[in-house]
Amino acid sequence: MARLVLHFALTAFVVTLLWSRSVAQTNEEKPVPIITGAAGYFTNVDAGRTELIPEINPVLLIPIGDRWLIESRASIQGEYERAPNRGSFEGYVEKKLDYLQVDYIANRYLTVTAGRFLTPFGIYNERLYPIWIRDLQLVPLIFPIGTGSSNGILFRGGFPLSAGVNINYATYFSTLSTVNEFESSRVAGGRMGFFFTRPRVEVGASWQKELQERRTNSFGAHFAWQPPPIPLNLRAEYARSHFGSGYWIEGAYRLSQVSLWNKVMRRTEFVARMQQTFPGEDKPTATDEYQFPSSSVRQPDFGLNYYILDGLKAEASYSRWLGKHNWNTWTVGLAYRFAIPLGRPQ
Amino acid sequence: MKHKFAVLAAVLAVASVLCWAAESRESTPTIDPVVQGSEKTNTMRLEGEKRFRTNCGRCHAAPHKFPPRMMATIVRHMRVRATITEDDMRLVLFYMTQ
Repeated sequence: MARLVLHFALTAFVVTLLWSRSVAQTNEEKPVPIITGAAGYFTNVDAGRTELIPEINPVLLIPIGDRWLIESRASIQGEYERAPNRGSFEGYVEKKLDYLQVDYIANRYLTVTAGRFLTPFGIYNERLYPIWIRDLQLVPLIFPIGTGSSNGILFRGGFPLSAGVNINYATYFSTLSTVNEFESSRVAGGRMGFFFTRPRVEVGASWQKELQERRTNSFGAHFAWQPPPIPLNLRAEYARSHFGSGYWIEGAYRLSQVSLWNKVMRRTEFVARMQQTFPGEDKPTATDEYQFPSSSVRQPDFGLNYYILDGLKAEASYSRWLGKHNWNTWTVGLAYRFAIPLGRPQ
Repeated sequence: MKHKFAVLAAVLAVASVLCWAAESRESTPTIDPVVQGSEKTNTMRLEGEKRFRTNCGRCHAAPHKFPPRMMATIVRHMRVRATITEDDMRLVLFYMTQ
């Protein structure tokens, strides 16, 4: 009986999808394939150890027809450290495929994605992670909870509920994969958010169920606010799983309203973030598998960004790890966003 | 096992209902970006700029405009990545290609 219901639902879904004639994008401008992404070079001084981190994250976008998009992002990142008692820097280059997915924009309510995709848990992984976007180069301490990449199928969409409220949702299933560079866990989950367009407030929640091994649940909540009168960007996330929990809250203020040296100030952004983590039941997994702190940690971060040109940003930051041991992390670097058409762009 | 089938069936049923709902609302007038040189164009441009600042500014600093066909690809990518609405996507694309 259950199989019959499933077959019926599957058939109904496919028929509805094919039958749907709503136009996804009827603009007269035919999209062209592009390579975009970001490149950056950062120097971290972490508890006295100096790391050099060059990286490039190319994104390939291939639109097909009015409704399809193939998109992929790779991550190529070097990590070089000065070897003990030697003068030269030594290290390695890590290569990853963050996503390789096919999107089908079925209609104004639904986009179907298949392949390897960024796991939609919270807002950082999908929206704030690229180095040219993030306000502080160090990712939040709770980032390992629920995020990463998944292999499977994803249903998502965003549409207005009323004149001032948009809803967005994502629900997915990921299969277990141990293939090198395509690793993923067998999980299912979802995220839902509400965006109040007039006050520019977004609130949302995420959930993920592990369908293997410990079969644990993870939960998350996110908040974002851009108060319209001032160039301030406030964001926060909370996440909880079996190996730990925590939150971060961040404010980024663009000094464009400062009249003194306005040409410089309007390109300058000050960032402050506070974050805290708490260990969960499964401390060995936290440290071995997820690189999550196994004891309580507080970490204030402060950053200064300077937007030199469109897409080119210089940044510096300071973080203080406050746990069983305390240390400082200094970061300085450059991030550049590029976009190159693979065809006639006009 | 039955639970898994039930959950999967429920997800597919919800997705089907959403598709059907979209089909039933297809007669909703859509914004035509081709309209040029009128008051409507100016209104759309202003509305597009507003939607651009409201949606794109949630995550990143406002980029400069790209050529139209590149912009069409980027906006489609953003529609998927940031789950912006179809109307927002059309108005942002209109504004960014003016």
